[in-house]
Amino acid sequence: MNPLLPFLMAGDPSLEALPAQLSEARSLGIEALELGLPHSDPIADGPVLQAAAHRAIGRGATPVRVLEALAGITDSPDLILFTYLNPLLQIGADRLKALLAPTAVKALLVVDLPFGEEPAFEADLRAAGYPMVPLLAPTTTLDRARQLLSERPDPGPTAPFAQRFAYVVARLGVTGTGQGTDLAPVQERVAHLRDISSRPLAVGFGLSDAASLAAVRALGATPVIGSALVRELAAGKGLTTTLAPLK
Amino acid sequence: MTDSFSLPTRFGTSGFGGCYAPETLMQPLLDLEAAFRSALADAAFQAELKAELRHFVGRPTPLTAAPRLAEALGLKDLYLKREDLAHTGAHKINNALAQALLARRMGKTEIIAETGAGQHGVATAAACARLGLSCTVYMGVTDMARQAPNVARMRLFGTRVEPVEAGQGTLKEAVNEALRAWAGRCDQAHYILGSALGPHPFPTLVRTFQTVIGEEARAQMLEQAGALPEVVLACAGGGSNGLGLLVPFLGDPLRRLAVEAGGHGRGLGEHAARLDGGRTGVLHGTKTLLLQDVHGHTAETASISAGLDYPALGPELAALALDGRVEVRRASDDEALAGARLLCEREGILPALESSHALAVLPALAAEGVTTVLLGLSGRGDKDLSTYQSRLEI
Repeated sequence: MNPLLPFLMAGDPSLEALPAQLSEARSLGIEALELGLPHSDPIADGPVLQAAAHRAIGRGATPVRVLEALAGITDSPDLILFTYLNPLLQIGADRLKALLAPTAVKALLVVDLPFGEEPAFEADLRAAGYPMVPLLAPTTTLDRARQLLSERPDPGPTAPFAQRFAYVVARLGVTGTGQGTDLAPVQERVAHLRDISSRPLAVGFGLSDAASLAAVRALGATPVIGSALVRELAAGKGLTTTLAPLK
Repeated sequence: MTDSFSLPTRFGTSGFGGCYAPETLMQPLLDLEAAFRSALADAAFQAELKAELRHFVGRPTPLTAAPRLAEALGLKDLYLKREDLAHTGAHKINNALAQALLARRMGKTEIIAETGAGQHGVATAAACARLGLSCTVYMGVTDMARQAPNVARMRLFGTRVEPVEAGQGTLKEAVNEALRAWAGRCDQAHYILGSALGPHPFPTLVRTFQTVIGEEARAQMLEQAGALPEVVLACAGGGSNGLGLLVPFLGDPLRRLAVEAGGHGRGLGEHAARLDGGRTGVLHGTKTLLLQDVHGHTAETASISAGLDYPALGPELAALALDGRVEVRRASDDEALAGARLLCEREGILPALESSHALAVLPALAAEGVTTVLLGLSGRGDKDLSTYQSRLEI
């Protein structure tokens, strides 16, 4: 089981720092990493990731520049591009595929793209090797989860984790650490999801310390560390210093 | 639990609209559509809504002939649909009250709303006070400063007004924050979106609750003027007022016009004219014409009117415009101010800055040879007094 799925905001602190950040993550044994594409209106993000996105945009991290900065970087974990739909729509599927080709991006997590809203765009990208990560929220019924997991299918055990996993949103609300997320409900949901799917699960939203990460691992799922990591990095702490005790 | 939408989620040949929402909000949106359909089919709900619109809101609002303004402009006949006389001073109450009734029917006890000019916030606050629902309104700090009287009114009605400091501190940021709040409370709260935008079913729901404006106006025109006008005209921010007035006239042989905020210039960031300045994009859960930069980031906007500076045109109105069924024009800040002044002087009515944008295109219509116009006066201008005082030097 993949023990940790970290999140970084591309361009925070700078695009120049990105290759070293990815290399450092890989040397820590990180298999896959969510890379946030900074957006002007991140409606699913809490204050920490909003601030990181706005810092990155302010320093010139536009979507195309982020993807260009990733070109040719092989010393990197598999990347899951975490983004909102509009910047991708403006780039367009053909140009997006060309931009993604020389990068380590293996999948897309488009927060505001439910299955079925852009079927041609989604199918085109999946065929090119960039499947959409299915998100399962606390409000997602088991019936809907079944539908969602079949619309965004598991490519199978030979595919990398980045293309296989489903993202279980631990609690209602937006990204961020909040105050002590109660993991009991997510434990139950993970158990139900195990009944309908054998694909790897990652659990995110509201995890911030070693104890909550361990609790997720105990469920056989991969914990996502996002806002808590971004906050530490913004405070000047290094990736290794922050992640090593959480692994 | 419903697992798919039943109503059409897209509009026109452009296919604008849709439901581009985070997964957390999908089931709440599915449930909302189901509750909306069930309420529409329920005679008791309809009767309660109708009674509240009559006895609390004061509907039907009058249709007022404006002969002295018509004369000054060179029009033969001008009629004003007086949403400024609806309770809380604008059309926003039609939708806010209906959605509050819907929320109560769904068993929700908490309301979340966003507001730009404050009219939707005030209307929602009033509806919540009347129905005994707790209410939180998100409002940008810039809008709180320029629409201070509405902030005070909301607080008097017992609503919590949450300042939103991000970005320009206007409606777009308020919607961001309201959507985030709803994602956190969607198990107990209903989000009363104030304009015909956002993810399905909101655009359809808001338009449905606002078409009472046009339905009344159409019947009143036939009764008072004996005929329909050549042009029906309304201002358009997201589109709740525009669609509310224009949709009931879609089957009639006349011109339908929506007026956007031309701000103080033609460059990106200087206006909120989405039809010729916007490109197809997705914001706040809907695909529509959007003011954005080349990166797909939402552009800044500018307008003297807090209710018209939203960077996206509601999807249904945008689709109607692209399909040629509604004409869209723009009016600048200065033209809107001039329109407001003329209405004040000639008819003794103080319009909201939003409504003044519709008034601003009347001289051009007269110059084109138009003789009869029905204009949606969406709100009253008391909230804008300080802007009028400083900009008109009175």
